[in-house]
Amino acid sequence: MSRAAVIRWAWIVVVLVLWEGVRRFDLVNQIILASPSEIWRSYLAVGPQFLAAFRVTLAEIAVSMAITWSLGIGVGLVAGSIPYLGLTAGPILSSLFAIPLVVWYPLFMIWFGIGPESKVVFAVLSGFFPIALNTMYGVRLLDRSYTLLGRSIGASRVQILFRILIPLALPAVISGLRVGTALVVIAVIVAEMLASLAGIGFWVTYHRTLFNTGHVYLGIALSLVCVLAVNLGLTWLERRVGRWRALERAGA
Amino acid sequence: MNAIGAPVIEAKTVGKTYGVGRAPVRALDGVSFAVPEAAFVSLVGPSGCGKSTLLQIMGGLVPSTEGEVLIDRERVAKPMPGKIAIVFQDATLLPWKTARANVEFPLELQGIGAAERRRRSDDMLNLVGLGDFTERFPHELSGGMKQRVSIARGLAQEPRIILMDEPFGALDEQTRIKMGQELLRIWEATRKTIFLITHSLTEAIYLSDRVLVMSHRPGRIVETLTIDLPRPRTYDMIGGVEFGRARNRIWSLITADEAEGAVEP
Repeated sequence: MSRAAVIRWAWIVVVLVLWEGVRRFDLVNQIILASPSEIWRSYLAVGPQFLAAFRVTLAEIAVSMAITWSLGIGVGLVAGSIPYLGLTAGPILSSLFAIPLVVWYPLFMIWFGIGPESKVVFAVLSGFFPIALNTMYGVRLLDRSYTLLGRSIGASRVQILFRILIPLALPAVISGLRVGTALVVIAVIVAEMLASLAGIGFWVTYHRTLFNTGHVYLGIALSLVCVLAVNLGLTWLERRVGRWRALERAGA
Repeated sequence: MNAIGAPVIEAKTVGKTYGVGRAPVRALDGVSFAVPEAAFVSLVGPSGCGKSTLLQIMGGLVPSTEGEVLIDRERVAKPMPGKIAIVFQDATLLPWKTARANVEFPLELQGIGAAERRRRSDDMLNLVGLGDFTERFPHELSGGMKQRVSIARGLAQEPRIILMDEPFGALDEQTRIKMGQELLRIWEATRKTIFLITHSLTEAIYLSDRVLVMSHRPGRIVETLTIDLPRPRTYDMIGGVEFGRARNRIWSLITADEAEGAVEP
């Protein structure tokens, strides 16, 4: 382990000890803060229930992500490769992105019920715009000579798209995915907190009303795990496909 | 002097108008010329005169509005990857591929087998002087080296004609001169027909058998100069009388046309 890593772990231990100590000596009320050991006790008490809820949340996130990614990338590619379409649709997409979608959620509830459907719709709408916009600009800003090159070497439209343009636009697409996916995760959990009967967001809200602070923190911890996992996955993807872009910048 | 053969490229009254309706732009007007087999022909002209448009029409990338371009007596209607390779101003290399993979990329799309691709990429990268850089990525190469890869990629397609659109425009002057000398060496080794667009009068005269001078928009060929300098060309010829005469002639054609057109101050 490197020196930096040792210090990093030391920091985590210090924070955990302080956190636990603050509650042990009752410096902060138990309604406000739960200590790590209290969160652990909550886990022992309601662990299975929370993990089941976590699975519901994860399923909603997975479905929403799949739909958001394909819709966002698909629309972005089309809007980006047809200049006229991008020029006219771009500003509309950008301004739609600025609308705080959460005010629509009550409507989604009426339209799609309080089950997973309304969560998925809400999450897809939340994550769609940054992905579509980034993909569109990524494709649009590509040097036109790459398309000409593709045609001059006899590549088909499909080959130009998949072998040249999409790989070139990938770094932009991935930065869109980063923002869009984070929004999907947030949207699912927020929607569960607003109105639902399942999922981690629902249980956080439920236990909050009962002042089961330990349970609330357990829910928050699970949400964090979720966000961290998504982030790690995206970083990995970025490293894999975006390496040349970073190298090129460093070399330039 | 090179033996000049039958025309391999023929442009016949090529015209191009962009956009229709309210504000059509006339880019090219009645452009006719012929390029003999294995010749080195350059096209010079003021910026925005339609040089690139003409090259794209010749490469089958853009349709002409009037007239036609014949390659080997065949009308150009679409790109002809087996006959024409194009080298662009930006090297347009794929940044995630090595120099070799970039050279082999068109061949891969054309379904040429791995062994043959390998042979051609080896040959061509050696020819352009990058034999030791085959496994390098574009970001590890200098601007001149990237353009060499791009030329090797064009050559590996074994075309008869190479169209070059300001290939050295983005390079510094010293690199540019060296690349010009390299290009002459490659041309002499491969006997391809080269059609080069350039802003540099010196480059055009130094490299070419013929220089076509194009007017302001709409682009027309105002004169064709035959450059009678002996080959192989050497750098000191640039200071010679004959060279100077050719350069003055082209310059006066371009400036006269500008005064006449008076498009921009």
